[in-house]
Amino acid sequence: MRLFFKNLKKYFRYAIRSAKAELKSEVADSYLNWLWWVIEPLAFMLIYTFVFTVIFHSKDEYFSVFVFIGLTCWDFFKRMLNGSVNLINRNRDIVSKVYIPKYILLLSKSFTYLFKMFISMILTVILMLCFKVPFTIYILYILIILPVLYIVSFGIGLILMHFGVFIDDLKNLTDITLKLIFYLSGVFYNINDRLHGTLKYILLRANPIAFIMSESRKVVLYSKLPSFEGLLLWFGIGLVLCVLGVHLVHKNENTYAKVI
Amino acid sequence: MKKKRIAVTVENLYITYRGVQRVSIRKYWSKLRGLPESNIVEAVKGVSFEIEEGKILGIIGRNGSGKSTMLRSITGIFSPDKGKINLHGNTVSLLSIGVGFNKSLTGYENIYLSGMLLGFSEEKIKEKEQEIIDFADIGDFIDKPVKTYSSGMYSKLAFAITAVLETDVMLIDEVLSVGDTQFKKKSYNKMKELISDDKRTVIIVSHDNNTIRELCDEVLWLHEGETKMIGKPDEVIEAYEKFMGVV
Repeated sequence: MRLFFKNLKKYFRYAIRSAKAELKSEVADSYLNWLWWVIEPLAFMLIYTFVFTVIFHSKDEYFSVFVFIGLTCWDFFKRMLNGSVNLINRNRDIVSKVYIPKYILLLSKSFTYLFKMFISMILTVILMLCFKVPFTIYILYILIILPVLYIVSFGIGLILMHFGVFIDDLKNLTDITLKLIFYLSGVFYNINDRLHGTLKYILLRANPIAFIMSESRKVVLYSKLPSFEGLLLWFGIGLVLCVLGVHLVHKNENTYAKVI
Repeated sequence: MKKKRIAVTVENLYITYRGVQRVSIRKYWSKLRGLPESNIVEAVKGVSFEIEEGKILGIIGRNGSGKSTMLRSITGIFSPDKGKINLHGNTVSLLSIGVGFNKSLTGYENIYLSGMLLGFSEEKIKEKEQEIIDFADIGDFIDKPVKTYSSGMYSKLAFAITAVLETDVMLIDEVLSVGDTQFKKKSYNKMKELISDDKRTVIIVSHDNNTIRELCDEVLWLHEGETKMIGKPDEVIEAYEKFMGVV
């Protein structure tokens, strides 16, 4: 673990720089340039809002904002997991030519996703202004919720990254699993209202992203306190996953180059 | 004669590629059920050597004799299965071309990207930045995206980065010959200058016996992962050439 922090310090600037480089190159050739970072989440929000208010007659309060908060959390989570599965493979060039602690690659990747999430959050605020959602002090609790989301995603990401090196079709598996989790997380419906009994209990407790989404909405939309025990619990689980992941990567990263 | 510092020690090094190829879940499943794993390749089998600081070691041998594998394990890309590699605290880099380049970005940005990936600090690269740009000698293209480069310019920039940002121990896999004739000469001279620095320890892998003979202080001949011979360049190369001529 000490090695992890030492490496973190050494390669932190590289991670940031390479994240910046990736973001830049992502938009370098497109016509609308960085506008895509704004258009994309907005477009998805519009689609879901349309489908669920017009077709399914959803009547949740501030539905667009509701969906958008969900999407913001979900997108980060999904990108982290999807991105990590074949991260090593996509960086074959680097991995087979220099030594770099492999979690730095994930760290750098996570920065690009954080950046996109940040844009998404700004859009949320703008939407809240448009729909006249009352701002309260409770919004600040989001600052506790986000680190939990990050830690959990990073931990799972590390472990996926490790196994993704050795197992070719893990990508397909995560795709399907993510789809399932997506529909079970309540991005476009409120788990608290729609489901009852044990199912609701299990979904909200066992699925980190559903929990985080619901907590984020609580503090942003409904001016309620988040569940601190829940957050603490997931923070703990996230930490354990991270430690496990770092350990796994440390132990095996030198064989990665042999495999790819 | 004063005793010289040892820069790199390799002790009884074994590297195997054993059953670490990528598998699909189905294959993984069958492996769990105990089907035999049959592919073991021993790339390096019990090689030991030591290099003194400032010396140049050449490694020769046929294709597939484990030369590159060994270099990569010295850099830390591979882990040895058995044996030890001790760098005595020296920094080490494998001279390779265009690591971590992002082709949509300018050459200038890529200097930093690649340099930091090689483990240099931002300040250090800033210091050397002008030297790299001068050496690469690609004019205004330094501010253009790398994907607009010709392949020659690409390797010129890439070589300049690795050549100017130097480490204590340098590993060279095939002496690089890149760019046009003029740059080739320049890079060869630069390489020679780098190599013949008193403090720098170098390991070169090459199939060009003349280069090896000219540059190296000592030569290691690997054959099927084992040390066949180690000693003075002239003797080893002569034996090697004889051997290759017969086989």
